[in-house]
Amino acid sequence: MVATAPLLAARGVSKSFFGNPVLRDVSIALQPGRVHALLGENGAGKSTLINLLSGALRPDGGAIEVGGRPVSRMTPAYAQQAGIAVVQQELSLTASLSIAENIGLGAYPRRFGLLDYPELAVRARAACDLVGLHEPLSIPVGHLSLGRRQMVEIAKALYRRPRVLILDEPTSSLSATETKVLTKLLERLRGEGIAILYISHRLNEVMALCQHVTVLKDGTCTADRTLEGTDASGLVRLMVGRDPGDLFPHWQPSASAASAISVRNFSAGLMRDVDLDIRTGEVLGIGGLVGQGQEDLLLGLYGAIPARTASATVNGASGLPAGVPKANALGLAYVPADRKREGLHLIHSIITNLMLPAFARLPALKLRSRRAERETARGLAVQLAIKGDLGRPAQALSGGNQQKVALAKWMPHDPLVLLLNDPTRGVDVETKREIYMMLRNFAAAGKAVVLLSSDTPELVHLCDRVAVVREGHVVAMLECGALSEEAIVSVAMGAEQRRVAS
Amino acid sequence: MTAWKETVGGRRALTILRSRPFLTVAIVAGVWIAASFASRGFGAYGHLRYLVELAAVIGLVAAGQTFVVIAGGIDLSVAAIVTVSAVSLPLLSWQADPTGLTAVLAVLALTTTIGLVNGLGVALLRVHPMIMTLAMATFLQGLLIIIAGGSAVTAENPLVRWLGNARPAGIPAGVLLWLAVSVIVLTAMHATSFGARLFAMGANPLAAALSGVPVASTTLAVYGISGFTSGLAGVLVLGMNGQGYVGIGDPYLLASIAAVVLGGTSILGGLGTYAGTIPGAILLVTITALITVVNASPGWRSILFGSLILGLLLLSGREQARR
Repeated sequence: MVATAPLLAARGVSKSFFGNPVLRDVSIALQPGRVHALLGENGAGKSTLINLLSGALRPDGGAIEVGGRPVSRMTPAYAQQAGIAVVQQELSLTASLSIAENIGLGAYPRRFGLLDYPELAVRARAACDLVGLHEPLSIPVGHLSLGRRQMVEIAKALYRRPRVLILDEPTSSLSATETKVLTKLLERLRGEGIAILYISHRLNEVMALCQHVTVLKDGTCTADRTLEGTDASGLVRLMVGRDPGDLFPHWQPSASAASAISVRNFSAGLMRDVDLDIRTGEVLGIGGLVGQGQEDLLLGLYGAIPARTASATVNGASGLPAGVPKANALGLAYVPADRKREGLHLIHSIITNLMLPAFARLPALKLRSRRAERETARGLAVQLAIKGDLGRPAQALSGGNQQKVALAKWMPHDPLVLLLNDPTRGVDVETKREIYMMLRNFAAAGKAVVLLSSDTPELVHLCDRVAVVREGHVVAMLECGALSEEAIVSVAMGAEQRRVAS
Repeated sequence: MTAWKETVGGRRALTILRSRPFLTVAIVAGVWIAASFASRGFGAYGHLRYLVELAAVIGLVAAGQTFVVIAGGIDLSVAAIVTVSAVSLPLLSWQADPTGLTAVLAVLALTTTIGLVNGLGVALLRVHPMIMTLAMATFLQGLLIIIAGGSAVTAENPLVRWLGNARPAGIPAGVLLWLAVSVIVLTAMHATSFGARLFAMGANPLAAALSGVPVASTTLAVYGISGFTSGLAGVLVLGMNGQGYVGIGDPYLLASIAAVVLGGTSILGGLGTYAGTIPGAILLVTITALITVVNASPGWRSILFGSLILGLLLLSGREQARR
């Protein structure tokens, strides 16, 4: 290994959001002519690290170095000057602008103070040729498919002639041919001495393309080594191996043979042809990488999005609920992931938030009793340890308490099936423990809990069974005995397929 | 213990004093007192009664508008619906109906149906409320021109005449009607689950839907109510005016929205009360009356009116930032 100074490096950086540490003492060095893989589970801190490297965020501690020298104030503008280009996971293109305009955005060639379109066309064409983008440059990006847009995004980065190229899950929306073009391109750029940071959940790609790997787990660096001599399962172990501690309650299986929900050939949104039985008294986990269709599964069962099914039984009634009010009447309750956008009415009081499902259910012209509402709300607040004045607007609450309100509002209706969409996202440890207790008690009382979670330990330690979803299908149903983080992650990523194939 | 109660009572009093409806009432009272010193006859009982009678029409239109705005929409067809009501009612009078009640009920059924069609477009076809109701208004105006042409029609309906001219116990019948409607509206808004659903839909439609609020049927109801109250306002304005003509409802579009916003209801939905719209309507009429006293040309009057509304909104009605 040649001991040249890394083009871009982070030395012992830390970063917290609202007091929650996201990165702790993480170091990474990007060498010229090397494809460096960054691996980690959802929420491990990969995106935060990229944002630090590109100047979008500033570290709380540690330093960012460019060309071996520490930079005191890293900004996106400085990063661009230093030749650092980032291809974000969430595309940053403007749909109504043309391909060429998007590629040049922010760095347009100028002539006499005006935009030099011919020059832009020449340079954008060159960048597009590199990524195999042969569409006319004048068509609006909005007309392109997601995969082609991803290629425009990469061309945009190349247009700036970067010395360091950071790619955040570039292949998640690419077809096999596009991926092949990209792989070849990256090989070539590597040969030209560019440093590349490559983030992907597809382990076989990483194994084929990268030379060096850094693994993040819960915001700390668990591996920084060459890829030689490692295999996919070894990487998975590095990503998930952690001590669950006593965060999770001890529990006895309480699942019965009776099914609360049973669907055959269920399709909704991204989900296709799912056969699923949800038993009373169990906590059924839904796992997988983010955005594989898990949410559509819950929303489809809840009647919130259109769903088709060959046959369905929901709490004794046949057929799926035709809408949310119907689902509520059948004993289903749904707690959304994005509590601010989907779960709560932030400008309304906590009491009103807690009472909303009741308002939705009662006859429209039934007179309200404010006193009874206050009593009910106070009871719920005590039960779930929601602190403070209930007359305050919900936006005054902390994230954990907001989540408790979103859960608590269903309790007076005694739901038979709880559909939970990532209920512990962004919630502090103490509240997590409370929520876990509640869910297990709920199952022990003979109800069914469906827990969609991006937090793998939660699935392992809390669930009777876990359905792993990949690309809109339930690819595995792991029983309690077979549950481990390694098992879930490798099924979610398709790593086990690779092992069979090779 | 007593001290605690006092602070709670004190806090409640403070909340009322700081509330927007109270602020609007205070502005109205202030303007009335100032104006009666400045202009002889302004503060006379007869004149103030006349102002409230005029405000009743705005108040009725704004009743439906308040429902719609709180639920997160807007109804730009109210003016056209007022005109539909005032023009079609005279055409419906017939001999077999000595009280005129049947004709009034028929017209109200018609305007409610128009409102329901608005609601259908918004709830089921997912047309933006502004587009839906504006298109409806344009459609109705065209229809009215075809049916009524340019001529004014005189109302022969006894009930309508009574409503526009009678003064049981010295209070105009129109004001009594407004009072009755206000009681019903305030009850529906703040004391029923239907009302609670409106606020939830206006504040966060997605969260409301996921909490089981029947969004489509509630939206339908809200626009239906707006059609009904606009129809009622049309009946009243016909009674006060004696004649209906195309364009009679035109002033009530801006007036209804201004009354709602002056009363402290958030134009973004989810927050507000009809208790603020009531003084808002009276404030609007008062301003109009004051401008008339100033004795300016119609063009300047209009400019003054618009500027005053903007000024008042800047003073009191600015939206608080939402997170």
